[in-house]
Amino acid sequence: MRSLSKLLASDTPSAPGVRPTALWSLRPKSDREAGDAVTSNFLLHWFPAKVTRASMAWNYSFWLGTASAALFLLTILSGLPLLLLYVPSVERAYQSVKDIEYVITFGRWLRGVHRIAAHLMVVVVALHLVRVFLTGAYKNGIGRNQQRQWNWVIGVAMLLLTLLLSFTGYLLPWDQLAFWAVTVGTNIASSIPAIGPSVRELLIGGRAIEQATLIRFYVLHIVFLPGALGVLFAYHMWRVRKDGGLARADRAEVAPVARVVAPSPTKTYTLLGVARGTSPAVTARSLEAPEASVNAVPDLARRALIVTLATIAVVSLLAVVIRSPLEEPANALVTPNPAKAPWYFLWLQEIVTDTTIHTRWFTISGAFLGGVVLPGLIVACLTVWPWFDRSAAAVTGEWFARSRRTQNLVFLLVLLAIVVLTYIGMELRGPYWQFYWPWQAWPSVPGRI
Amino acid sequence: MEQRTNSPYPKVDRPTLAIVGVLLILSCAMFFASDRAHDWRYYQASFKQQIAAKFGADRARQVPSGIQQFWVADLRRADRCVTCHQATSWKGFENGEEPYRTHPAEPLKLHPVEKFGCTSCHGGQGWAVDVADAHGEVAHWEEPLLSRSLGEDYSLQTNRGALIQMNCNLCHRYDKETKGADAINLAKRLVEEKGCRACHTINDRGGHIGPDLTRVGEKAPEQYDYTRLSGQRTAFAWHVAHFKDPRALSGDTVMPNFNFTTEQAQALAMLVLSWRRVDIPASYLAGAPHTDTPSPEQAAAEERMRTGPGGWFVQTGCFVCHSISVLGVKSPAQIGPDLSNAVEDVQSRFGRTIDDFLRDPTGTMSVVLSRQIVLTPEQKAVAIEKLREAFAEYQKQKAQSAKGKRP
Repeated sequence: MRSLSKLLASDTPSAPGVRPTALWSLRPKSDREAGDAVTSNFLLHWFPAKVTRASMAWNYSFWLGTASAALFLLTILSGLPLLLLYVPSVERAYQSVKDIEYVITFGRWLRGVHRIAAHLMVVVVALHLVRVFLTGAYKNGIGRNQQRQWNWVIGVAMLLLTLLLSFTGYLLPWDQLAFWAVTVGTNIASSIPAIGPSVRELLIGGRAIEQATLIRFYVLHIVFLPGALGVLFAYHMWRVRKDGGLARADRAEVAPVARVVAPSPTKTYTLLGVARGTSPAVTARSLEAPEASVNAVPDLARRALIVTLATIAVVSLLAVVIRSPLEEPANALVTPNPAKAPWYFLWLQEIVTDTTIHTRWFTISGAFLGGVVLPGLIVACLTVWPWFDRSAAAVTGEWFARSRRTQNLVFLLVLLAIVVLTYIGMELRGPYWQFYWPWQAWPSVPGRI
Repeated sequence: MEQRTNSPYPKVDRPTLAIVGVLLILSCAMFFASDRAHDWRYYQASFKQQIAAKFGADRARQVPSGIQQFWVADLRRADRCVTCHQATSWKGFENGEEPYRTHPAEPLKLHPVEKFGCTSCHGGQGWAVDVADAHGEVAHWEEPLLSRSLGEDYSLQTNRGALIQMNCNLCHRYDKETKGADAINLAKRLVEEKGCRACHTINDRGGHIGPDLTRVGEKAPEQYDYTRLSGQRTAFAWHVAHFKDPRALSGDTVMPNFNFTTEQAQALAMLVLSWRRVDIPASYLAGAPHTDTPSPEQAAAEERMRTGPGGWFVQTGCFVCHSISVLGVKSPAQIGPDLSNAVEDVQSRFGRTIDDFLRDPTGTMSVVLSRQIVLTPEQKAVAIEKLREAFAEYQKQKAQSAKGKRP
C-alpha cells in the first residue's frame, strides 16, 4: 500500500500549493494521512478524523454499541445461508430446521450462531441503553446544535426493533416452544380493551396461529424489521457524528488546559482580516490537541475491529458448546406446561400472572396491566426522559453523576425489578406457573412410551 | 515533517487483536471439529473394515460413505438410519450385533424399505444421525425406537420386542388378526371376549358409557392424570396400570376390574396406543381392510340379544353389567348379579321390593342410575314389568328343571 502511494506520488507533478494525492493507509505516517484514510475509505468514512482518548476508554462505553452492531452483523451473516435452508411453511418448517440441525454442513453451528447472536443482541443492546442512561449520555453538552435526545429516542426504537426481531424469529422453527411462546405473546396483545382482539388478529393474520402467522412473522423477520433496524442504525451513527461523538468528549475537563498553539508553517492565519501572517500567538483549548486525542485510523479502527472480532469469536465458541433447542412439532391441541414467553418477555408474563386476581366474585385479568399498560408506560417514560432530565450539561457523559443520583437510582431499581422478575419467570416457575425454589425438582415431563 | 499524533494504544491493542485473532481461529477449528465429530463416521469406518475382512477389499469399496437415507416422499420421511445400520441390506450379518445386522427378509417383502422407510415401523427419529437422537431417546421426541431394550424397560412379558407391533397396527387396525403381531392379536381377542364395546366406541362402533376409544392413542402424554401412578410416567405405563386396576388410577371410574394378567394389560395398552389417525396415502393400505365389521356370527348373536325378549335391557344398557340369562341376555362384563331372579333377589339383599328399590336405589345402583343410565318413571315401570316377566320365566324354568330332575 505504501509503495503504491509512493508510486502515485512520484508520478504526480508537484506544483506550489498542490499536494501529491496519496492513497489512504492503515498505518498513516502523519495526521493528514490518517485523515485521508477516513475520508477515502468507504468502510471507515463514518469515523471522525480524530477521537478523544476519553472516548476510547474501555471502561466508559464498554463498547456496547459496537458489540451490538457486531451482533447485528453476525445475525445477518448467519441468517443469509439459513434463508436458503429454511422453508417457511407449517408443513415443512420443522422438518427443514431438523435438517439444518442434523445434516446440513455447519448447519447446527449456523443456527446456533444466529440464535445466540440474537439473544446476546437483546442483552447487549439493553446494556447499551443502561450505559447511556447511567452516564447521562443522552444529554446535550457543550457542543452546538446537539440533538442527543433524539438519538436516544432512535436508540429506544432500535431496542424495540431488536426485541421484535428476536420474537418473530422465535416462531420460525414451528415447534412447541415457538408456537406457545408466540401464543402467550400475542394473547397479551389481545388484552388491550376494545381493540385487543383486532390487534392480535392483525399480528397473527387470523384467529389462530397458522400459516398466515408464520409467513407474516417470516417476512417481518427477514425483510421489514432488519431493514428498519439497518436504516435506524445508519441514522443513529450519523447522529453520533453530528452530536460530536460520545457524550464524554463534551466534558470540559477533557480538553487540556489552554495552551499556546504552535503555529503551523503550512497554514496562513488571518485575524479579522486585519493582521495576516504565519505566526499568531493564539491561546486555545482544543479537543483535538495531541495530548487529548488520537487518530481514528488506526486506533479507533483497530479497537472497533477488536470488539467486532471478539464478539464473533465468543458467539462462535458459544454456538459450538450450546445446542439450540427444538421441541416437538407445534401442536395447538397440547399446551406444554408451563408455557412460557421468550425470556426477555418473562418479566411481563410474571407481572401478568401476579396481577391476575381471582376472587369468589370477580376476576381481574393482569394481561392488560402487566402486558400492555406497564411496558407501555416504561417505554413511554424512557422515550421522553431526556426532556425531563434537568441536570446540568456539565455532567453529560459522567458515570453516576451526583446530580443525577435520584433518577439513576430509580432507573436501577426498575432494572433490578425487571431482572429479578425475569429470573423468577425463567428459573423458578414450573408447571401451572407454580413457584419452585432452585433446589426443588419439577415434576418430570411424561412421555408417550 | 508533518504533524503526527502519538498514540499510546498500539502497544496494548495490537497484542489484544492478535489474541482475538487466535480465539477466532480456535473457534473456527472448534466448529469445524464439532461438525465432523459424529458417531456415524466411526460406524462406517468399522463396517468397511468388517466387509474387507469378510469379503475382501473390492467389496469394501462398494460400501457407500457419507450420510445415507431413504427418502419416502409419500410419507414425508427421510430415514437416515442406514447411515450407521449399513449391514441391513448385506447378506452374512444375520447374527450380527447392532448396528451391523442384516434386516430379516420376510417383513420387507410386503413392506419394501423404499416405500415405507425405517421409522414407519421401528419408530425413532429418522432425521437424526447421532445415536441418542436417532433412537429418539432424547427430550422432545415422542416416537422412540420401539426396541427390545425399551420392551425390557417395561418388563414386557413373553416377547420383549413386541412394542413395534404398535406401529403395525397403525395401518392394520381393522385386521382381525395380523401375522407376526401376536401381542396386538391377543389384545384384539380380549376386546371381543370382554365386550369392551358394551361401554366404549371402538372403530366407530360400540356403546357410550365409557369414552370413545377410536383415537385414544392421540391423547397427549400430558393429558393423563399421573397422580396415582407410581414408576414411569408415560402414557403406556398409565394404560398398563389402568388395565390392571382401573379404579386405582381414576377413582370415580365405573370400569370394572377384569383381572387382566400383566401380559394382557401390556398387550391392551399397546393396542389402545396404536389407535390414532395416521396420514397414510390410500395406496399404502391396499392389503389391509378398511373397516371393522363384526363377523356374521357376532352380528347374529348381537341381533338376537337386541330383538329377543330381553332386548329392552340391551337397548337401555343394563346388560353391560347384568346378564338376564332367562331372556337370553349375556353381559360382557358380568359385574352385577344376574337379573333373572331380581324380584326375589332384591328382596333378600336389601329387604325392599323391586319397585321400591328402583324408585330410590342405594349403593352402586344409585350412582349408575343417576349418572350412566337415567330412567324416567315410565321407563322404571317398564323395567319392573320386564323384570317380573323375567322372574316368571325364571320360575317356570326352575320348575321345569325341578320336574325334569324328579322322575
